[in-house]
Amino acid sequence: MAETSFLTDDFLGQLISVGEVDILVGVPTHNNAKTISSIVETIQAGILTFFPRERAAIINADGGSRDGTRQLVMSAAIGDAQSRSKLYALRTLRSISTEYASSPASGAALRTILAAAELLRAKACAVISPESTQITPDWLAALLRPIYAETFDLVLPTYRRHRFDGILLTNLLYPMTRALYGLEIREPSALEFAFSGRLGSQFLAQNAWHEETAQVGSEIQFTLAAIAGGYRICQSFLGAKEHVGRHSADLVPAMRQTVGALFSSLEPNFSVWNAKTGSQPIPTTGAEQEFSLEPLRINRKRLREMFSVGVAELESVFQSILSPSTLGELQRIAALEEDSFSYSAELWVKTVYEFAAAYRKSVISRDHIIQALAPLFRGRAFTFLVENRNGSAANVEDDIEALCLEFERLKPYLLKIWNGRE
Amino acid sequence: MPLEKDEPWYKHAIIYQAHVRTFYDSNGDGIGDFPGLDEKLDYLVDLGINTIWLMPFFPSPLRDDGYDIADYYSVHSSYGTLEDFKKFLVSAHERRIRVIIEMVLNHTSDQHPWFQESRSSQENPRRDWYVWSSTDARYHEARIIFLDTEMSNWAWDPVSKSYYWHRFFSHQPDLNYDNPAVREEIWNVMKFWLEMGVDGFRLDAVPYLVEREGTNCENLPETHAILKELRRKLDEQFPGKMLLAEANQWPADLRPYFADGDEFHMAFHFPLMPRMFMGVKLEDRKPITEILQQTPEIPPSCQWCLFLRNHDELTLEMLTDIERDYMNDSYAQDKAMRLNLGIRRRLATLLDNDRRRIELMNGMLMSLPGTPSIYYGDEIGMGDNINLGDRNGVRTPMQWSGGWNGGFSAADPEKLYAPLIQDPVYGFPAVNVLSQKRTQHSLLNWMGRLIAVRKTTHAFGSGSIEFLYPGNQRILAYVRQLGDEKILVVNNLSNAAQAVELDLRRYKGNILIEMFGKNIFPRVGELPYLLTLGPYQFYWFRLRRI
Amino acid sequence: MWEMIVSELTQAMGDLARGFAHILPRIIVVVIMALVGWVVAYLAKVILRSILRLIKFDRLSENAGASQLLTKAALPSATDLLCRFVFWLAWLGFILLGVRVLGIVGLQEQIAKFFLFLPRLFVALLIMFFGLLLATFLARAALLAAVNANFPSPRLLSVSVRTIIIIFVLSMAFEEVGVAEQTMLVAFGVAFGAMMLGLAIAFGTGGKELAQQFLEKRFVHGRKDDGKEDELSPL
Repeated sequence: MAETSFLTDDFLGQLISVGEVDILVGVPTHNNAKTISSIVETIQAGILTFFPRERAAIINADGGSRDGTRQLVMSAAIGDAQSRSKLYALRTLRSISTEYASSPASGAALRTILAAAELLRAKACAVISPESTQITPDWLAALLRPIYAETFDLVLPTYRRHRFDGILLTNLLYPMTRALYGLEIREPSALEFAFSGRLGSQFLAQNAWHEETAQVGSEIQFTLAAIAGGYRICQSFLGAKEHVGRHSADLVPAMRQTVGALFSSLEPNFSVWNAKTGSQPIPTTGAEQEFSLEPLRINRKRLREMFSVGVAELESVFQSILSPSTLGELQRIAALEEDSFSYSAELWVKTVYEFAAAYRKSVISRDHIIQALAPLFRGRAFTFLVENRNGSAANVEDDIEALCLEFERLKPYLLKIWNGRE
Repeated sequence: MPLEKDEPWYKHAIIYQAHVRTFYDSNGDGIGDFPGLDEKLDYLVDLGINTIWLMPFFPSPLRDDGYDIADYYSVHSSYGTLEDFKKFLVSAHERRIRVIIEMVLNHTSDQHPWFQESRSSQENPRRDWYVWSSTDARYHEARIIFLDTEMSNWAWDPVSKSYYWHRFFSHQPDLNYDNPAVREEIWNVMKFWLEMGVDGFRLDAVPYLVEREGTNCENLPETHAILKELRRKLDEQFPGKMLLAEANQWPADLRPYFADGDEFHMAFHFPLMPRMFMGVKLEDRKPITEILQQTPEIPPSCQWCLFLRNHDELTLEMLTDIERDYMNDSYAQDKAMRLNLGIRRRLATLLDNDRRRIELMNGMLMSLPGTPSIYYGDEIGMGDNINLGDRNGVRTPMQWSGGWNGGFSAADPEKLYAPLIQDPVYGFPAVNVLSQKRTQHSLLNWMGRLIAVRKTTHAFGSGSIEFLYPGNQRILAYVRQLGDEKILVVNNLSNAAQAVELDLRRYKGNILIEMFGKNIFPRVGELPYLLTLGPYQFYWFRLRRI
Repeated sequence: MWEMIVSELTQAMGDLARGFAHILPRIIVVVIMALVGWVVAYLAKVILRSILRLIKFDRLSENAGASQLLTKAALPSATDLLCRFVFWLAWLGFILLGVRVLGIVGLQEQIAKFFLFLPRLFVALLIMFFGLLLATFLARAALLAAVNANFPSPRLLSVSVRTIIIIFVLSMAFEEVGVAEQTMLVAFGVAFGAMMLGLAIAFGTGGKELAQQFLEKRFVHGRKDDGKEDELSPL
């Protein structure tokens, strides 16, 4: 293959003029004009407050915005020529932008940010989501300090979330990552995180940037790469994460991004996870996780309905993925009345592990495997919602902890079916 | 001594700041003197400078290095006689070197006969030549300048049992400019020296002449009125002479000192100087461009005076707290290097004796808008001695050679007014005029070339400035233009090689001629003009249409 | 007379013997050809297999996604399949070459025709094979998409997709071998039209909600669609 660069000449020119930096903040965007200005301003305030003397830059990797997001980022730069900012800066604080593709892809965005971080020799680099409207300048300190002032390589966030926010995270990603890799990482697929120059360079150098990787969730891959590489990881509490109302159509893409990436990481990392048992907490500054309890209306009935329809309609698909006993059990609970319905932790863990093994063997198209998991996840979500309907934050936490332990307990089951042709 | 007819001479001056005491001792008493200065004038001619600014040489108890004057009409006996001064003045003018002397308007020494008379009794006719008060509560909004030594701007006089006002040291009582007799007397002093032939005055501490209740007692309209009156008399009786203001103020507060071209001819640009150091340390042009953007236009006959270092501490007053902390941490890690709100170090020591940075800073000094002033010794990269108190560390004897007392004096070393710098890096055996004269590439010879190139164009002295803002913030680039003459200056503020693309489209068709080597660079076209610069490198290009 | 019978018989016997003597070597040749053909075909198979193993053909086919398809179609591995195909092709070729030696009139023509027909048959089989796989894949994709989008009767949609693709594939395959072209074309046309109608109705039903949403957003300000916004957020 010819040596082609994924960085445009224009962006390279911008990088040359930014020059070496100590701190880099990457913001991947796609049509975020509404929020981007205030986010960039907060980032600037964070940098200027906590790293006033450091050389810093903000890099916007844009996935083909048509609403002027890029222009807003670039005009926010604090320099000498046309600075409109009210913030006081000791030195120039550039914010530059590039369009990495005409449609958004988190992997390609991260790759652009990583490449910029390496070319600019950034000591610490943070990635901030353009949708985090609740960001405060403190976030920058929380994310970057452990790397810049201490020797951590990856800082992952913890948030104050609604107890029913991020059910995929609390019911699959967190417990499974924890059970497999032995580290209690609350947000393995965070949209905000920070990393050291050496971790960034190592991940960039991995020959894993073919198209598939660029499409699926690069955030979780990055976390897993850091775990597999034995890098020092810590967590920082950032603050409240706003509950964003989602459309049901968002579930499958979200699962592709996260569950797909988690599943596909298992094979190359087999030697990393197969021998680990139990799990350990990682260094955390601030709260590990907080839950807010204000009421939230969720259409539970529909979750339950979609689960049952899924189990019935997808029988042929499940036959090639699940073991007969698991499938039989699923069919049994699918037929139950709403009041007695319960998708137990054990059954859920078995389901997930069998899906992971099927994913590895590619019994059918891998994307179909992930899609087939979605209706089952809805069933599990329903049970989680019902069980914690009136629960306190501590109850929710206990429930999640129990699920984690179940994932850890059944890990031998995964190892058993991993190679078997069941 | 006409130099140029159309342009005021001070616009194209290159000022050399010297102190008689520190320069050369002709009679072996350990203290520099006017005959000694006279003797070394040819050295200054070789360097290329055309103006000397002398620090105070008047009779004084020397508790503030001569800024505490005890007699305005004479020369301190250690430095020679009035006759010696006159002879020096003549030989300087013979060499086409102008002489600016110091005039301390704001205060006198407490040893001055005027103050002695004033304090002697409440009824003395000179009583209200100074600012007296029965209470120390007046003018409490005025800040204290010498924070490290003074507690109050009022001092108790046990003789006359009342307080007197002083903005600086307590042994320097402020004159009362509300008194017409004081104003008259001060004009007489100036007239005395002007008639002798001096070419201008550097007026010390001008913002503080008048006090008014409820103000910070700085830059008051009454002060400006007094200064305008002095200027009017100067123009009437001594046309072609120059007034230079020392007013450590923000650009906007400084601007009134130029008034409509009828107050000061020149003023020091205090806020720029620390920002040049800051820009080089930050490797970012922002502090420099920012302050120059904030610098107001001044009347065409007026001029800024630029400097890197002078006899005082590198003042950080005109900085924000963040900037000041940064400067202190970058340039004065050792607390002993700090004094008041500043850093008491010389150019070479501030810049870690890094020849490339010293050259860059001097390059900017010579190419930014204004008249440059070089502090004695900095042209050879002299060091300082922070073990000497106050600002005396940067006022050590000039290092002429590696021999006895560095060639400064034939006296016993113990008799010198201050010890020479002796450390292995900056000491006179390593850093001195004689050895630098002998090496082509010495800083001294390089400074001579820099000054010679500066003098090849008037664009630096009186041209306009237009900043280019290339994407690379480590590059400070500007075009100086006077009529058809255009000079492009490109400075790399960084420790690493840099590439920069300059938007020179409006100069399309010009070729670039590098002013030191006179080599031709490619013609300017539509595309961004690409230049690469080594660490701390700078270029001066003449833009020529051929 | 007896003599005549004898002589005729003798002649006939002689002719038979001669004929037999004439044809026997040819039969032997056919048998030898078959045997040699088997050996050559076997060797070809073995050599091909080792070459394919050497170039890790299975891995390649896996990366290309063919292996999953074969597994799904309950067929042996790609290497095995290819080897077997080459073996039979080579052996059959040798046998047919041998048969030609027999010199049976008409048979030769048929054999020639068979050899000409072979590539078309091969292509048709290939089309069938991949077509069926494609049908399975797309049918499953439709099924999953429908289930996750909460579409009514996902299985119907899935079966429809499968049917339409199979019909399409069959018509392509038949056209390739040149059998009943006209019939297939008409059958395809009818089936396709029916499918399109079905799909149009399906989309209409599915899109109803979307259209409603759009209209509401456009004309009824400030009213939120309660059914949609309170879905759980997964991350």
